[in-house]
Amino acid sequence: MKTIYEFIIKELLQFKRDKKMRAVVFMAPILQLILLGYAANMDVDIVHTAIFDQDKTATSREFIKNFEESGYFAIDYYASSYEDATELIDMGKTIVVIVIPKDFEKNLNRRETVSVQTLFEGSDGNTSSIALGYIQGITNRFSKKIVTETRDKYGVNLALSGSLTPEVRVWYNPEMKTRNYMVPGIMGVILMITTLSLMSMAVVREREIGTLEQLIVTPIKSYQLILGKLIPFTMIGFIVLVIVMLIMTQWFGIVVRGNPLFLLFTALLFVLSNLGLGLFISTVSKTQQQAMMASVFAVMMPMIYLSGFAFPIENMPKVVQYITHLLPLKYFITILRGIVLKGIGFSALWVETLILFGMGAGILIISSLRFSKKVE
Amino acid sequence: MFHRIYAIAKKEFRQLKRDTRMLFIVFFFPVVLLAIFGYAINFDVKHIKVAVYDQDKSDYTREYLNGLVSSEYFDIVTHIDSDDEIKRLLDEKIVQAVIVFPNDLSRRLNNNEEVKVQYLVDGVDGNTANVIVNYVNAATYSYSLKLTKEYLAVKGKEIYVPINLEPRFWFNPELESTKFLIPGLMGMILIITAVISVSLSIVREKERGTIEQINVSPLSSLELIIGKTAPYIMISLINAAIVLLAGYLLFGIVIKGDIFLLLFSTLIFLFAALGLGIFISSIADSQQVAFQAANVTSLLPSLILSGFIFPIESMPAVIQWVTNITPAKFYIVSLRAILLRGVGISAFWEQLIYLMIFGVIFISLAALVDRKAKAA
Amino acid sequence: MDIQMNSIEVKDLTKQFGSFTAVDKVSFTVKQGEIFGFLGANGAGKSTTIRMLIGILEPTSGDALVGGYSIMKQPDKVKTQIGYMSQKFSLYNDLTVEENIRFFAGVYGLTGKKYEERKKWVLKVANLEGKEKLLTNSLPGGIKQRLALGTAVIHEPKIVFLDEPTSGVDPVSRRNFWDLINDLSAGGTTVLVTTHYLDEAEFCNDIILINAGRLIAQGNAKALKTNYIKNTILEIESDRVVDSMGILEKEDWVGETSIFGNSIHIILNDNAKGEADVRDILTTKNSINVHRVDKIVPTLEDVFIHLLEKDKTNVS
Repeated sequence: MKTIYEFIIKELLQFKRDKKMRAVVFMAPILQLILLGYAANMDVDIVHTAIFDQDKTATSREFIKNFEESGYFAIDYYASSYEDATELIDMGKTIVVIVIPKDFEKNLNRRETVSVQTLFEGSDGNTSSIALGYIQGITNRFSKKIVTETRDKYGVNLALSGSLTPEVRVWYNPEMKTRNYMVPGIMGVILMITTLSLMSMAVVREREIGTLEQLIVTPIKSYQLILGKLIPFTMIGFIVLVIVMLIMTQWFGIVVRGNPLFLLFTALLFVLSNLGLGLFISTVSKTQQQAMMASVFAVMMPMIYLSGFAFPIENMPKVVQYITHLLPLKYFITILRGIVLKGIGFSALWVETLILFGMGAGILIISSLRFSKKVE
Repeated sequence: MFHRIYAIAKKEFRQLKRDTRMLFIVFFFPVVLLAIFGYAINFDVKHIKVAVYDQDKSDYTREYLNGLVSSEYFDIVTHIDSDDEIKRLLDEKIVQAVIVFPNDLSRRLNNNEEVKVQYLVDGVDGNTANVIVNYVNAATYSYSLKLTKEYLAVKGKEIYVPINLEPRFWFNPELESTKFLIPGLMGMILIITAVISVSLSIVREKERGTIEQINVSPLSSLELIIGKTAPYIMISLINAAIVLLAGYLLFGIVIKGDIFLLLFSTLIFLFAALGLGIFISSIADSQQVAFQAANVTSLLPSLILSGFIFPIESMPAVIQWVTNITPAKFYIVSLRAILLRGVGISAFWEQLIYLMIFGVIFISLAALVDRKAKAA
Repeated sequence: MDIQMNSIEVKDLTKQFGSFTAVDKVSFTVKQGEIFGFLGANGAGKSTTIRMLIGILEPTSGDALVGGYSIMKQPDKVKTQIGYMSQKFSLYNDLTVEENIRFFAGVYGLTGKKYEERKKWVLKVANLEGKEKLLTNSLPGGIKQRLALGTAVIHEPKIVFLDEPTSGVDPVSRRNFWDLINDLSAGGTTVLVTTHYLDEAEFCNDIILINAGRLIAQGNAKALKTNYIKNTILEIESDRVVDSMGILEKEDWVGETSIFGNSIHIILNDNAKGEADVRDILTTKNSINVHRVDKIVPTLEDVFIHLLEKDKTNVS
């Protein structure tokens, strides 16, 4: 016990003495979460639009006004020719060009169907399809108005038929804001990066400096060394965890609907599984450079891309979905979003919680076994 | 001057060549990651898992559901008999949406009344929810339109649709997000390789004290830096080529624009990224600090602040300003212009200028810090 | 305590890295309380041998008893008997003097009064009394090295392994460091030290020399000098040192030649030859002025150069 205690004190002292390190470990998560939390927003709030109005009548202007007033469209340009319009798209200046045909008003008055072309800069498929949805909605409403007006004007008796209308209720996040979804995800990612990069250096650093050799010669046991490293880093990880949780709830005002203590508990399991992974990397690496590259490419990148933090796992091919089962971050993000946004608890999340626990324990045991007190 | 740079570069190459693990990580992982991530990352919402609570069980509801299933957008996972189950299904993410048909659906349709089909959508992922809502609206309106058409046809009348939207999607007609995202992935992989490996390789010499040996030699710091970064520029270029080739073979991404322009932009981007790496190495005095700093400035920012997945226009003004800290932002714009739109340099020359300025600023800052350190 | 007991007994210790044999069937014994010098060129296998003895490298074959325990069967027991200090001075640079002492004391399980007592001792030998709060990084090399030795023996081990402890340290500090080693030895601690400074080897009670992984000589300094070189050694001072050496080398009765400062040492193949022959060749035949020709007792350096040359011919 005494040995482990002295080890912990030593690690904490080293951490305390390294001012730059301390600053990065504590300040970086705060800054990152705040900046990235604001940035991680897939809401298509403003669609940069150009209009090519070949009709220039009261009706076409009214049609355009509908877009302006919707609040989603910023009409940045009025194109004077078709070439002009295509140029805007080529240069990436607008996402969509709405082309109003020549006899727009005349044809509508004649009760004929007019075609309105919408040209999309489609490279961002996601934004394009959401923008198309907005345009469809606005056009439908405008059409409906014209139909009603025509009916009133000409007294045409349009037969009534039965109709279906969707009544959509969005649960958990009625405004479909992406921020509430992204901030917990980013919190998970930041927690992962901080703890993993700290831990992956822990052993290999001493190996490179030469102190590990000195330690191996002492009667210290492998498990004492592992615990001596793990406990202080868990403490640091826990502080980081509390900091990011506070920012999420206090700064971003995201209300934790479920039990915050359960959240803290699962987060701790997650931190442990990351530390285990870091320890594993640290014990198998020969140099710090190897450890860093391995932790970035073999662990962090897959976790970031495949955990469902930004890219929905449901959209991935089946094979890749199987890979995602290996990632602790995936389970943690599911738990995190479940507790924070849905307010569910252990009864709905026990599978994920158990897997996270199993992974943490498993990885730690493997790393301790892998760390033999021999050097080659 | 040249032979001294050559000597340093040769030494760096030799050290790299000997570190086979490192080479493996640097060359093997980017390709594997591109392959897996390329398939995995997309926002193309398909096969939405739905549960059906059909209280009517009529020909109408069967026809409606057949329409849903025949598109590849919806998969009916389960049928339920009471609304008690809805909460559990959504809570535990078993389905993404639940459709509820009221029990008087066919009666009211036959009476030419309006009927509401209720959809309960999991809104946790706002972006996906938005897309689901769009699909649901479209599916319901089109079925309703079909019913109306049939009804009017019986009465010998025609339906009047005033405006017909003709959407055209350029560059990416299928609106696949993969094509949009791969340039971003490329930028991220390159920046990580460049920033982390360069900052580490310089700080490593600092840590081991070998840099003092070099400092007393007639090498200028410029020569040292060029010599040390040259191998990494080559590695990054080879990486870029491999990633592009993989992009073509696996995802059919053809370089629409000029390949020399691509090479040129990539070189300028690498210059900026290396500038950042050199700056980090000037302020960090241990590999551990350099690693953390490189992570903070390049890992998440190149994903979240670069416009890779989150549109920069949707960010608050302050954050939009902050996005300039990641050179990936400028590179991704250029890359998309060359790869997807195939346009010339006139569409993105500003980006390249920014990258140059970025590189120059950070290298000057590094020189400044270095001079101060030597004076102290 | 049995003075005659052996602290270390090494039997046919061998280490192979792939096809390369770093240590080849090395056997030797080290007696309790002696200073045992382990000599050899860089890469001769000194560090590899030490690393096997302290249990951080597994031997390919052979075994050794360290403090009575087998390094193959009881490596954990071995670790309770030994202290180790390498050329890297493995202290934590970012900890203070006191924190380093406390940490290593903690690792060895020292507590309470015992800890206080040993801390005082380490501070005294490192000459750091009153400077406990200094960062280790800021200490001069010689002091750091004494602190490293102090912490390496904080638990009063029976045996200490020192792997090139004085490389890169100034002569005064080296001398002070050796005083410390002598004190340890006087207190009954066995010291096994590797070095490539031959003047340091003179301080050792017993010496072994290894080359290319094999043991090629063994004994105390005096025995080495008398047992391994039977031939006469002459020290010659002349006007033109380099020319003289070139001339003497061509003679059949002259073995190895080497330059020591402004004099030449030659080992004779034929002990019947002597000063007269040297003067005859240099002064009479080549008109080089010879100041002095003396028959000398060989230095360790003479012995090792002789042995290594001989070994080289044996190997090839």
